[in-house]
This record gives sequence, C-alpha cells and structure tokens, in this order.
Amino acid sequence: MSLRRAALGVASALLLLLLLRQNDPGRLGRRAGLLFRSAPFDSKTRRLNGTAAAFDRQFSVFLESARRNLPAGARGLAVLGVPRTNQVLYLAVYQLAPTPVLVAPEQVPPGWLLAIYGPERPAGWKVIAPVWKGALMAPAS
Amino acid sequence: MSGLWLSLAQVAAILLAAGAIGYALAAFLFPVSSRRSERAAWGLALGLSLLAASVPLAFLTRLPPRWAPFILAALSLAASGVLHHTGQGASSLSPRERERVKGLMKPTHFLLLVLVAFGVVGYALRALTEPMWSNDFLAIWGLKGKIIFAAGAVPRRLFDDLSLGFSHPEYPLGLPFLYAAISFLLGRWDDHAMALLFPFLQAATLLALFGWLRRRGASRALALGAAALLALFEPLYSAFLTGMADVPYSFAVLLFGMALADALDQTDAFATRRLAFASFLAVSTKNEGLLLAAAGVFLAVLALRKSRPAWRRAAAAVAAPAIVLLLAGRLWKGSLPLRDFDLAYLGPTLILELLPRVGESIHTGLREVILPAWPGLLCVLLLAAAGRRAPAGDRLLLLASICAVAYLLVPSLAVPGPAWLIRTSLARTVCALSPLAAAGLAARLRIEGLKD
Repeated sequence: MSLRRAALGVASALLLLLLLRQNDPGRLGRRAGLLFRSAPFDSKTRRLNGTAAAFDRQFSVFLESARRNLPAGARGLAVLGVPRTNQVLYLAVYQLAPTPVLVAPEQVPPGWLLAIYGPERPAGWKVIAPVWKGALMAPAS
Repeated sequence: MSGLWLSLAQVAAILLAAGAIGYALAAFLFPVSSRRSERAAWGLALGLSLLAASVPLAFLTRLPPRWAPFILAALSLAASGVLHHTGQGASSLSPRERERVKGLMKPTHFLLLVLVAFGVVGYALRALTEPMWSNDFLAIWGLKGKIIFAAGAVPRRLFDDLSLGFSHPEYPLGLPFLYAAISFLLGRWDDHAMALLFPFLQAATLLALFGWLRRRGASRALALGAAALLALFEPLYSAFLTGMADVPYSFAVLLFGMALADALDQTDAFATRRLAFASFLAVSTKNEGLLLAAAGVFLAVLALRKSRPAWRRAAAAVAAPAIVLLLAGRLWKGSLPLRDFDLAYLGPTLILELLPRVGESIHTGLREVILPAWPGLLCVLLLAAAGRRAPAGDRLLLLASICAVAYLLVPSLAVPGPAWLIRTSLARTVCALSPLAAAGLAARLRIEGLKD
C-alpha cells in the first residue's frame, strides 16, 4: 500500500469518526421526540416553547398578546419595561413585524402606541388594552 | 394530517414543484448526456430562483404575488420550449446500461449511502425541531421576508429606517424574497415549516457534488464518500445556521466552483451559462458573493495562458451578473455602506492602525476558530496531501482558500473590532466553503486510481 493511500484511508476514517461524533444519535432521537410532541401545537405555541424565547418566555407571550390586541393601522409600537438587548430587540421586531417597533426608545415617535411589559403605567398615556403581563397604551389626549 | 405535518407537506409540495420546473429548465444548462443527480441539483437552484424572482416581479407588474410564480414558470417553460423536450437529457444510459450500473452497486456503496441518508435525516431533525430561531434569522433574513410578505411590498424603511440598521439593509434580498414567495404560496407566514427548505438545499448540494464528481471521472465510491462526509458536517448543517443565508450560499458556492472549473476546462458548451447563473445566485444570496466573483475572475485570469477564449468567456460569465446585480441594487436601494466595516482603515489617516488589526484578526482566528478545529483540519490537510495535482480540484481548493483567507483578514476592518467579527462570523462563513472544499479534495483524489 502506498503512503498516499494510507494517508487517504487514515484521514477519511478519522474525519468520518469526528463527524459521526457530532451527529450523536441520542441527541437526534431527543430532537425527533420533541418534534413529534410539539407538532400538534399551533406555530405560535411552538415558537413560545422554542430557543428564541428561552431568555424570557413570559416576554414572548406578552409580545404575542400585544400583537393580537394591536389596533388595525397602528403606526408603530414602542416596547417599554425591558432592557434594550439584542435578544429583546430582535425578538420584538420579528414577532411584531411588519409593524415598526422600537425597544426602550428615548422618545416615542408621534402617533405610536406603547406596549409596557410590567406594572408601570407612564403618565399621559391611557390603557387601550390589557395584555399578558402588561398593557397597550395610547396618548391620553 | 394537521398542524405542522400538513404545513410541512405543503412546503414540500412547493419545493418539489419548484424543483420539477427547474429540472425541465435545466435542459438549457446541461448537454443531453448530463446526469440526473447534477441536473436535479441545478434544477432546484433554478426553480427556487424563479420562485424568489417572482416576488419583485409581482410587485413591479402588480400581479398577485401568489400567482406570479405560476405565470413566471409557465412563461419560462414556454419561452424555452422545453415543454417538448423534457424527456431529453434525463439519462444518457440505455436501459441495458442502467441495469448494468445497478448491478455494480456494492456493499461499500450501500454503506456510504446509509451514511449520506443518516446525515440528511440528522440535519432534517436539527432544522425542523422548532421554528427557525437564530439571531440572524430573526434580525435579518426572516425579518425581511416577513415584512415583505406582510406588507405585500418592499417597504423603503427596510433600506432607510435607522432603527432597522441591525437588519443590514445592504445585504442582498434573494433569501428574503424566497421566504416571501413560499409564504405567498402557502397563504401565511410559517417560520417552522419553511425550515424544510434547508434540508432540501443540503440534499441538492449533495446531488450536485456527487453528479459533478462522477461526470469528472470519480469512482462511485469516491463520489459517495465525499457526499457522505459532507452530509455529516454538522457545523454547516446545524440548527443554528438554519434560517440564515450560509446553507443556501454554500450551495451557490459549490455550483459556482464546479461551473468555473467546467468553463475553464471547456468540458461542454453549457458551462459558461451555468457559471453565469451560479454567479447570479451567489451574489444575490450574500455579499460574500462579490468576493467569490472577484476570486473567480482572478482564477480565470490565471488560466489565461491555457486558453484565451475560455478565460474571457468565464470571466465575463462571472463578472456580468455580479455587476448587473450590484448596479441594480445601487439604483434601487441607494448607496448603503457596509454596516460592520470601516473602509477608512484602508485610507491614509488610519492605515497605520490596520496592521495591528490584521494581527488581531489572525491571532483571534487562530486561537478561537482554527486551533479548536485542529483534528478535522489535520484530516483535511492529509486528504489534500494524499491527492495529486488535478486542474479542476486545484482550482476549487484555490478558490476556497482565497475566500477563507479573505474571511480571516476582512474582519480587521470591522467597526466593533476584529475579534468581535472573527468570533461571530469566521467559523460559519468558512463552513459555507466546505462543499467547495469537498469537491476540490475529491477531484484531486480521483486520479489516485481508486476503483469501485
């Protein structure tokens, strides 16, 4: 056997072993189990149970609740009561799309609504719809 | 059947229909004697491109976006006249030859096929366990697709709203258009069932790799072996990258590399068309497509001495779609800077800061990405050493190497610092070169005299 063939055989076998280790059948089995268990649920529930919402599942439920209660024609939504981290921002903007969203902005653009996560209710705003763990608010005047 | 299973069946039907239409259209990319596997892979690429293109076309012509793909497919098929020729080119083998080929299947082939199937099933499970969730899906690719679908238009705010800057307005819209097109056909936004697109892309990548290697003379064992190793490559076919542009781009890069090698080697009269289409695909999927196109032109120039007409045709096929897409994007979106990069580091005022940044890029890349992957990289180096010089394989490996080195060095221009971009992007962008590298390595091993 030539040196080249030996190198080819050893390298291929080692690479295959390395790659097979990354495809752990036990983990794949658990993924299959999760897939089959969650398949009957609606897509929103599957998202709420997923990785994207794992940092704060209550916040994800709040966003979905806000989305469902959003009045038609809302110009935009400022989400308050959460830190402006990338995780929060990306999930809020994605879940509420196509409605424009700002997270914890310094100023709320005119005509926009507030979605408050938590018990705070800023002065000058009135609740237009209670949502999960928070409220949707519009300017009082 | 209800819930997710029904949605998956609907998405599968859309993807299969796109692939079938693309398969018919692929008669214009391949000679009659082409292999089914390769044609099926290019067919899916063509079908998905038509699907994605139907969205801007519908917006421009005010056609209902749901019907635009059908109209576009019918027009393409009618214009190309392939409705009368779909049977051609399906297989170059006679029935007797096909029987003989079937008879040549050996236990090794079955074992390799099982490994390929394991890789595909494994990725399907990773991709479909939950709705697509990675940051870049939520912030970039999925967000844009969802906005385009929900708005029934491409809102200007995707390009000029500062609060959406994180979604990278300068990125190409190929994948968001594809998401929107599938959603228009489905009649809803389903970011779980749509993940099925990714195992389809993986399967098409494997078919393209297998078909090209076989056409270029590789044994069935070698072609299947390369496909098996690629199918099992979890860093690319991962749950995290599902939804992002890296898997579609890796497919486009493979098609580009194979077509470039074919065009420079003048394997058939259709190679230049394939190259132009692959260049279009790569540039419309990721910004890295422009780098790939530049590297492709460079490789074409390197082949200048061998055949002047071939390099000219290849360079034009690579450059023309890239330039057209670049200009079209500029006209449509306006001048959008690369958000993550500051090109001032290449200018006279900051050039002195560039060298330490290059050093930081290389150091972070070595320490945090390359060294932790040393066992796999060592195997790849051994495989490269075990092969022999082969023009096609060498070109693919050179193309992959140029891109990999660029991915290591370009973060030195990153605004938040080289280390940040290396950590967030080097591993996945280099992983997207793995199908190209697999093709290059296997093409070099082909002449080792490996028999089935």
